[in-house]
Amino acid sequence: MKAFSLLPLTFSRNRKLGVGERKGGYDLPLHKSAGSHFLVLLVGLMSFLAMMALSATMVLGGVTQHWSSGLKNKVTIEIPAQKPGGLLRSAAEIKELALSVEALLKANPNIKALHILEENDIHDLVSPWLGDDVVLDELPLPGLVSAELHVRDKDKLESIGKALTEIASDIRLDTHESWLEDILRLAGTLKLSTLIVTLIIGATTIVAIAGAIRSRMAEHKADIELLHLMGASDLYITKQLQRHAVVLTLKGALIGVLSGLVILLMLSAFGGSGEGATIPGMHLSASQIIILLLLPGLIALIASQTARVTVLRVLGQMP
Amino acid sequence: MIKFEHVGLRYGVGPEVLSDINFTLEPGSFHFLTGPSGAGKTSLMTLMYLGRKPTRGLVSMFEQNINDMSRAQLGALRQKIGVVFQEFRLLPHLSAFDNVALPMRITGHSESEVKSNVDELLEWVGLGDYKNALPLTLSGGQQQRVAIARAVIARPKLLLADEPTGNLDDDIGFRLMHLFEQLNRMGTTIVIATHSQYIMERFGHPRLVLEDGRLYMHDNANWVQKNIEGVY
Repeated sequence: MKAFSLLPLTFSRNRKLGVGERKGGYDLPLHKSAGSHFLVLLVGLMSFLAMMALSATMVLGGVTQHWSSGLKNKVTIEIPAQKPGGLLRSAAEIKELALSVEALLKANPNIKALHILEENDIHDLVSPWLGDDVVLDELPLPGLVSAELHVRDKDKLESIGKALTEIASDIRLDTHESWLEDILRLAGTLKLSTLIVTLIIGATTIVAIAGAIRSRMAEHKADIELLHLMGASDLYITKQLQRHAVVLTLKGALIGVLSGLVILLMLSAFGGSGEGATIPGMHLSASQIIILLLLPGLIALIASQTARVTVLRVLGQMP
Repeated sequence: MIKFEHVGLRYGVGPEVLSDINFTLEPGSFHFLTGPSGAGKTSLMTLMYLGRKPTRGLVSMFEQNINDMSRAQLGALRQKIGVVFQEFRLLPHLSAFDNVALPMRITGHSESEVKSNVDELLEWVGLGDYKNALPLTLSGGQQQRVAIARAVIARPKLLLADEPTGNLDDDIGFRLMHLFEQLNRMGTTIVIATHSQYIMERFGHPRLVLEDGRLYMHDNANWVQKNIEGVY
């Protein structure tokens, strides 16, 4: 020992310059790798996009549910303001016909609830389309009867329609099917599109992580070869790169998901619709928010498995 | 321990750098591997530390044919081999302590075992005060001692050293040679590649001589010609 005491350099634990520290149990200098910040940023952006696409899917699901549950078992009976011959019906005539319709439907066991819309209700329905300047009292307005069914059955609806035409030939039964189906189909297509976008984002993230891991392995090829020659198992080496990938993606995913959550809360606060609106606002339930908050964990899991497969594949090429 | 039968090695489509190599090293033996530059010493060492598989012939290590072994089995075999590389191959971002600790960590020793063994060995090779130093801040000789400490820390069954005393002054060189002999007495089979006639004569172990990719043996009394006659 004394032979070495005159050597020019001495090191203590407190001196950083020239002192090696094994960071986080890594044998490989992964924390110093170029491009780590880029991967965090990329995963952050991808997580943000995935979060927005997933929340859009959830909101669209809510909209579909809102529309279909609101109209699924409901029908409207319309008594036109104009008779088939072109003459207008008086308010009293319309009221009388509405009562006949009510009496007919009350006798039908498939009718769960029935409601004759009053003049004010009809004014409320049409005023958003006609504006405040129009004096609605002077306009001929149809009579409307809203009915809720126990079961939506095509044959039963046809028989109701037939019975209604016996009261007046021009009374119409509106089952809302034509536009409801179109709108539900549109909502379904949008949901599918957002799911496909989410899958593409996921696939892009996997490719980016695999590329980053391959690049790390190329950067530290000599060190990895040395560990391999010392007898390090594939798992020993893989664990280090896997942990590195998880840490980076978790950082990025947390940033992306939390940013997404802030944006969603803002959209929910400023762009929300009121009670009873046709299109519901960007509202997510607590369970949906919890699902979105689990996204970083899912992304980290994907990163971990991607890193594992990539590293094992590269190591498999060594003798 | 090690058996090479008609082993040949070529890189890619180039000529054979090792041709028809035949030798057997018994457990607990001590050999020098020597020969002129470019004769294939490093290639032969590479085959012995399982860095490559031969292009032809059979290699048996620890009584097992390496061609029949899985990657996992080869990994376990490599853990029994300590290597001192000619260019040291220390991990530049790790301290001397962590470089020496690598084989123990790879084989799953506890951190308390790692600490006591590594501290003791670094003291022994005269680097007790440098355990936290990065390799780049160490001299060539100090790096070489770290490399040697790393090769012997896990008490390997086979120690391969490529010019281990090349950068050391005679005093430290002899001290390390005595360490190798001590390990050899404890049962470790040792092969040291060296150019130093002085070291070979001083320690007097049998020699494997490589020339033009062919191997000859010398038992200090006679040349045992394995491949061709009349070279020495």
